Amino acid sequence: MAEKLHVQLEELQEEILSMADLAREMLSGSVEAMIAQDAEAAEEIIVRLGEIREMNDRLEERCYQMIALYQPMATDMRKIACGLKVIASSDRIGRYGKDIAKMVEDISDKPHLAHMLSIPHMAGLVLEMVDDAVNAYRTGDLSYIEDFSRRDDAVDALRYSIFREAITYMMEDPKNISRCTDYIMMSRYLERCGDHAGKIAENVHYMVTGEHIEIQ
Amino acid sequence: MSDNTSLLTISGLNLWYGETHALKNISMEIQDKKVTALIGPSGCGKSTLIRCFNRMNDLVNGCRIDGTVRFHETEIYADGADPAELRRKIGMVFQKPNPFPKSIYENIAYGPRIHGINDRAKLDGIVETSLKKAALWDEVKDRLHHSAMGLSGGQQQRLCIARTIAVEPEVILMDEPCSALDPIATAKIESLIEELKKQYCVIIVTHNMQQAARVSDYTGFMYMGDLAEFGETVQIFENPKNELTENYITGRFG
Repeated sequence: MAEKLHVQLEELQEEILSMADLAREMLSGSVEAMIAQDAEAAEEIIVRLGEIREMNDRLEERCYQMIALYQPMATDMRKIACGLKVIASSDRIGRYGKDIAKMVEDISDKPHLAHMLSIPHMAGLVLEMVDDAVNAYRTGDLSYIEDFSRRDDAVDALRYSIFREAITYMMEDPKNISRCTDYIMMSRYLERCGDHAGKIAENVHYMVTGEHIEIQ
Repeated sequence: MSDNTSLLTISGLNLWYGETHALKNISMEIQDKKVTALIGPSGCGKSTLIRCFNRMNDLVNGCRIDGTVRFHETEIYADGADPAELRRKIGMVFQKPNPFPKSIYENIAYGPRIHGINDRAKLDGIVETSLKKAALWDEVKDRLHHSAMGLSGGQQQRLCIARTIAVEPEVILMDEPCSALDPIATAKIESLIEELKKQYCVIIVTHNMQQAARVSDYTGFMYMGDLAEFGETVQIFENPKNELTENYITGRFG
């Protein structure tokens, strides 16, 4: 029976990793669509929402079933606990991708302002955090996440600087308001995705060591 | 865990059955008014260990013990220590319910009588209190003089617990107390253990890890005569430090 649980735990992790990959694609795809102002590419992301929602419900249910059937303990229990958090964070990251994709159409009738402020740079940092958190989950190697607090600070600082910069553009010319509001929203979504990467990292740390840490 | 509530202090305890080294250098402290569970694969020494606490192994041929078991400040294996008195203070409940083939009342009154209590009113009081503490009173109060053998397995086991309580022990040892019971009877014993620990020190040997996790405050994992890991139950089941413990509780062996 334990053997069966361990096989199922491996399958569960594989499927959660596919979900995390999908979330990552939705986020990176939406950033690219935004930069390129490509409404068609954005539409392709928006339609994937159903897919990630289905994975979220199915995998979460699977975790609960495994708890009910096997009463897992120690690392087995921690793998499921961590899995649930990775599922929840991946769902959120995918949805932020969809939210960003939805802004593309709004913004595509006028060229970008000031190369989108620091948004492409910020998006790069956030996507790296998502990749490293997921890699840590895939491999159990905590070196991927060891400087996450510092990286999270850098992302927060960028969000603030984008906000300040956007305000100056809006004051300069009210015609900038609509684009700048979208930039502020987008930087906010990206920052939240960085936080979710941090959540995944915290839970991978717990899964591997049994100790809780806080990334802030 | 070394504080002034530890009731039993075991140090450097070794036990041999003939040539077999069954307990290897066990040291642990057992806290009063807490439940301590011992888990481990069959033959790991957990039953042997709790039988050391009330000298039940004295009766086994070829059994040799060294090291110390201190109960309060008294060494229980010291020359001149009285095993009968020790067993009154440290009672035991076995895997298979073993009521005497007598009435429910007599099962409980037997121990106190042996210890010299013959006053009827006093015995009545002990029977009632013991049955209440064992959560059996309401089920048997109208048939105290019926045979104990007519009770269900779970009721018989609670009767055995009541019988143990009747002589006012300080420690209750339980060796697989639920393994012969169905899930409902098991749940009753488990909630009873929860009650008992308010007043007694309870030590339970169990094969059922979920049971250990549910009822105990401290858990010891034994493996081939060693106490491989001993700590707070939550820590043992959430984040064991010893790889053997980890492998056992996640079902990778055993």
